[in-house]
Amino acid sequence: MNDMNDMNGINGANGGHDGGQDDVFGEAPFVDEELDHDRLEEELREATAILDPVPAELRRIAIEAYALHDLDARIAELTFDSLVDAIPVRGAVDVPRMLTFHSGGLTVDVEVTGDGLLGQLLPPQSAAIEVLHGPRATAVLTADDMGRFSSTAPPTGPFALRLRTGGEVVVTEWLRA
Amino acid sequence: MRSGTSPATAYDDRPYTRGGTVDRSDVGALVRSAVDGDTAAWKALVDGLSPLVWSVVRAHRLSDADGHEVYQTVWFRFAQHLGRIREPHKAGSWLASTARNECLKVIKGLKRLTPTDDPQLLDRASEDRTPEQSVLDSEEAAAQSELVRFLWQEFEALGDRCRQLLRVLIASPPPSYQEVSAALGIAVGSIGPMRQRCLRRLRARLDARGAL
Repeated sequence: MNDMNDMNGINGANGGHDGGQDDVFGEAPFVDEELDHDRLEEELREATAILDPVPAELRRIAIEAYALHDLDARIAELTFDSLVDAIPVRGAVDVPRMLTFHSGGLTVDVEVTGDGLLGQLLPPQSAAIEVLHGPRATAVLTADDMGRFSSTAPPTGPFALRLRTGGEVVVTEWLRA
Repeated sequence: MRSGTSPATAYDDRPYTRGGTVDRSDVGALVRSAVDGDTAAWKALVDGLSPLVWSVVRAHRLSDADGHEVYQTVWFRFAQHLGRIREPHKAGSWLASTARNECLKVIKGLKRLTPTDDPQLLDRASEDRTPEQSVLDSEEAAAQSELVRFLWQEFEALGDRCRQLLRVLIASPPPSYQEVSAALGIAVGSIGPMRQRCLRRLRARLDARGAL
């Protein structure tokens, strides 16, 4: 079957790119621009590798983050973040960051201010709580029988809480304080 | 008689996945291996996808400190969710959209804290680190690097939307359009036309300065 016969109808299908002179002729300006754009994009890609690469330190941290992968721990999902979900009060400054995490029947409420961290477990229960800022824990807290816990060191940067309660390990979703 | 392909058709013909399909084909397998404890697979994921995460951070023009924290948060969360990710082969899109959400949170937080929305303020923080200095040391690289710097200047001077789109597109290895869509919250179908327009604009700027 002759390629030429198809051309009027289904030009856009671009099936016979390799063959017909007419085809090449007609598309020349676009093909040129496409090639030029591909080349330009590739030059930019090379420039990025030189001028704005992933910092080596960050690459190392990402590789070490593998240690955070823990199939046995349950994840407490972030279900409320005042930064996203709350309507800001006009004129209010230095409002605390309110976070709520859920995992099964457990709720973890956390309030982060410049002065530290306050937390509440619901239903109320005691727990050992580690504050994580990376693969290593940086502080150990205790939730009392009422489920309350606090720290005078406000978390900075990425953090998560690892809770041990009633034989279970629950880790809050990582987020940035 | 031949009118050639109309511009609209030319857009449509661009494959949405570009080189991405090749480079990304085994992401799902790598994720599954990493879940099973394969450290090398995790490392391969970091090498293949951290430039994408970084590009999203850079596209949002965060300060150095904020950008580093977002990048780390994204990888910590990815490690945490590994094994629970529903579509392992879309891990790139997962990372890109997580990075985007964290970037938007930072921007939201800044607006709340800073009385001004002056974008200059945000820009300045990232300019502190212009990494050119480390590059341009060697003599033989000087001429080449002049061109590179020149290209980069014109790229940086593009409008916000173009700069943002291109910054993600030029991650290495090249992201798929699905990943770009997740990174920037734009429809897959509009990426091709936007890319074409932005590169055309960049080409015009370069031509005007008589380079390349």
